[in-house]
Amino acid sequence: MKVYDHTQNLGLRVGVIQILAFIMLSVLGARLYYLQVVRGEYYDEKAENQRIRLIPIPAPRGAIFDRNGKILVDSRPTYNVTLSNEPIKKIDVSDRIDDYARGLNVDREFVVERLNLIKKQNDFETMVLKENATIQDITWVEAHSLEYPELRIDLQPQRVYPLKETLSHVLGYVGEISSKQLEKPEYKEKGYRPGTIIGKGGLEQYYDEYLRGRDGYRKVIVDSRGRVQQEIETIQPQAGQDLITTIDLDLQMTAEEKLAATPTKRGTIIVMDPNNGELLAMASLPAYDPSVFVQGSSTPEGRKQIAAYWQDEKRPLYNRAIQGRYPPGSTWKIPESVGALEQGVITVEHSNMVCGGGIQIGNKFTRCMGSHGSPPLSYAITKSCDGYYYRLALKMKVEGLIRMVEMFDYDKRTGVDLPNEKISQTPKTWKPIIEKREGKWSDIKTVYAGIGQDTVVVTPISMLRAIASIGVKGRMYVPHFLKEFKPIGAIGNEDELGFIPARQGFTFQHPEPKIIPMTAEQEEVMVKGMWGVVNGGGTAGSIRIPNFDIAGKTGTAQVASLGKDVGANKDHAWFISFAPAYKPEIAVLALIENVGFGGSFAAPAAKGVYETYLAKRGPTVAPDTVAENGKR
Amino acid sequence: MVAIIERRSFRDFDLLTSLLAVAIVFFGVWQIYNAQPEMNLWSKQIIGLGIALVAFFLVGFSDYRRIVDAAPVFYGVGLILLLLVLIPGLGVKINGQTAWLRLPVIGQFQPSEFVKIPVVLMLAKYFGARKSGPLRLREFMIGCGILAAPVGLIMLEPDAGQAMTYFPLLAVVFFLSGIKVRYVVITIIAGIVLAPAAYWVGVRTGKIKGYQQERINVILDPESADPRGYAYHTIQSMITVGKGGLTGIKGDTETSQAKLKFLPEPHSDFIFAVTAENTGFVGCISLLLAYAVLLSRLVSGAREAPDRSGMLVIMAIAGGMTFQIFMNIGMVLGFLPVIGVPLPLMSAGLSAILSTFIAIGFVISVKMRRFVN
Repeated sequence: MKVYDHTQNLGLRVGVIQILAFIMLSVLGARLYYLQVVRGEYYDEKAENQRIRLIPIPAPRGAIFDRNGKILVDSRPTYNVTLSNEPIKKIDVSDRIDDYARGLNVDREFVVERLNLIKKQNDFETMVLKENATIQDITWVEAHSLEYPELRIDLQPQRVYPLKETLSHVLGYVGEISSKQLEKPEYKEKGYRPGTIIGKGGLEQYYDEYLRGRDGYRKVIVDSRGRVQQEIETIQPQAGQDLITTIDLDLQMTAEEKLAATPTKRGTIIVMDPNNGELLAMASLPAYDPSVFVQGSSTPEGRKQIAAYWQDEKRPLYNRAIQGRYPPGSTWKIPESVGALEQGVITVEHSNMVCGGGIQIGNKFTRCMGSHGSPPLSYAITKSCDGYYYRLALKMKVEGLIRMVEMFDYDKRTGVDLPNEKISQTPKTWKPIIEKREGKWSDIKTVYAGIGQDTVVVTPISMLRAIASIGVKGRMYVPHFLKEFKPIGAIGNEDELGFIPARQGFTFQHPEPKIIPMTAEQEEVMVKGMWGVVNGGGTAGSIRIPNFDIAGKTGTAQVASLGKDVGANKDHAWFISFAPAYKPEIAVLALIENVGFGGSFAAPAAKGVYETYLAKRGPTVAPDTVAENGKR
Repeated sequence: MVAIIERRSFRDFDLLTSLLAVAIVFFGVWQIYNAQPEMNLWSKQIIGLGIALVAFFLVGFSDYRRIVDAAPVFYGVGLILLLLVLIPGLGVKINGQTAWLRLPVIGQFQPSEFVKIPVVLMLAKYFGARKSGPLRLREFMIGCGILAAPVGLIMLEPDAGQAMTYFPLLAVVFFLSGIKVRYVVITIIAGIVLAPAAYWVGVRTGKIKGYQQERINVILDPESADPRGYAYHTIQSMITVGKGGLTGIKGDTETSQAKLKFLPEPHSDFIFAVTAENTGFVGCISLLLAYAVLLSRLVSGAREAPDRSGMLVIMAIAGGMTFQIFMNIGMVLGFLPVIGVPLPLMSAGLSAILSTFIAIGFVISVKMRRFVN
């Protein structure tokens, strides 16, 4: 020490400072050792996680075709504006709600919903902020990429429904999975997350698993603002399988036209091949436009339209063919007759019952529409004699009716390949309830049940399935839309990363038809009666087509008690049928809500379908029928 | 001044210290390039080094005693510069701080970096003239006064980080001016007790702002801090350092933390994180050793200083540098809060490198005159 100063221990003090400096540097060195050597791998992984990101490449869904290859549903590429959950910099997107809503012309509330949703998501997950982005939207996002790095433009296949309202109930639509659905285990285990597009309603929902593709992804390196810097690898998506349905678009269009031409424009027409259960058409009016759900959920106008659909008293969202339950009226007499024959209450030889112009139960007289004497079964069908069936029902008793219900599966779903099918309600459903409530099941209830009123409400699809079996030796097939799912090839090679195996094509797996026990004679009596309805001076004589014998049955189902059945409470008009009567190729059901007589409204609508069918098939018998005839 | 350079001076020139400082700067230039390869910051830093070396030689070959004598003049000029910064129109606002002065010809510079030197000189002049014996209250008050003026002005910018770097200068001078050990002990104990208390009161009264609290919280508990918020800098810095591992990332510069912009301010305040990522533990320890050797050279120079003021100049500069290194790297390693203090000789910035080399110039000047008494 040059500057010598005993009193202050100067040399020592300089030494203390020097040691302090070394201690500080050593502390830094120790900390470095901890971060780099001890925890190095941990931080390396953290760094990798924040720079590597998987960006999904959404797969297109399979298209849906009719039986002749006409396209019903397709996918087309569209641009979406997506919002990414960026964890890096504090982006308080809440301040940007108005900017987004204005810049992209989306509903402000929708933006708020999206933000709330994405905040609950993992980092880097994305949600669609606007589908079907226009050139203006894309330009807006690009122009604000520095301001709003959390917005991105993604190419995404979007579902297109070119037929608009046509077939909407059968096709269904797609949309983002709802929060309620996400809580269900069956969706959870598939790894769905908010924003996942799933089928909602119709075939889109029922066959979602096959229609949906497997998303691919791009593995990329991003910078701190989430902008892609480098692409590491790309796994291509696998498209969904194409679905060939049993639908005949021409018949479907006719069915919808005919419904639209009725006074109330409400009802359903179902067309089925009675020989295998293939559904050729299923119309339900009023209908909705599926595109509104696909494209409209983010726009104010679209949301208004969706709300209007839900609130509409006419219930356009509901598929009357499988979800509507209507009193079957006189159409109920067909399965009832088959049941009576099967139970031996009547026989082919001794089928006569008194009409009596009605029946007296206690102090109440219930009328028949005419006075038919003591008709045999086929005549009772042709003329739709209520008096006959009052007495038949009383003879069968409610137990007999219930046995018939079970025979025709009215207590079950038909198994049609659509979601949310309802089950019919019959005396089987009501008997225990009534007995509990009123102490006993009264005869008058049996009488009403005998003509398809009061305790009987059935779904049109269950009615058609039952009736269509009459002409085909009692074989009751499961109605279905699936004809074939096309196979799709694998993506990539096996043992490689991102390999997606091929998916096999398949056709509808026909369950064994349920056989209604019927002798040839019993069948003949039934068909004869139904043939007479159209061709033998029956209730639907007006729709007779020369050289094409339709077997049918009309129904006029009361909605309100007599005298009040006017205006909105008019009767439902039914017509159930198959043709040709003795070698059925096609079965048609028509139900028009609140219009009046079945013969006047439902039967003509069904006739229109037959005419279209004939125009396509030609006036002569189908070629395969000729071939079969030739063999004989 | 060049005229007074004598032949003998060259012989006493401390080449090792000078070369070590220049080597650290070049190491830094490499890291600046790693941090921002597409910007020409690294070449600017080399130009800065050139300018700094000119100043360094000018100071180094002058007689520090004359400069210490003129300390009040420099001190006055320094205060004027700090005042000018605060005049709207002259001062340049960056990141909410008005710390920069834009002057014609010279361009933009940061007076608070330079004013440390006049403060050191002023302290050296006053305390270098004192007689032996323990520090007196009057001396203590004057020392505080010398520091208070520039620190007060810097706090008005406001630049708490720079202001903090001034305190070790005074602390070292007091310590070497015979302050009684018991006062040192009392100060340390008071600091340990009062700092948390002051923090608590500050939080309660709202004087310490939310973001400042968060910067403290992330140090105490980095795992539960909000990685998107004010903890961002600290967390990303730790990731960057840790990722470097033992020997640093090799060749994978395309995905470096700085390149992908995860690491903020990679060329200036967080240059050490870039160093850690690129050269790993080995490179970092080498750098710390270089600093240790440099500081040892300074301290040994102080021991051989011909007079008290020379010794104080060197020790204050060494103390200030050590403190700044510790503050900066401590921040990068995530155990000290984020405060904008550059890493001496490494961080990009003309003002910082220039002032550091002027400071080392004084050391050289003192050392050169160790035999002239």
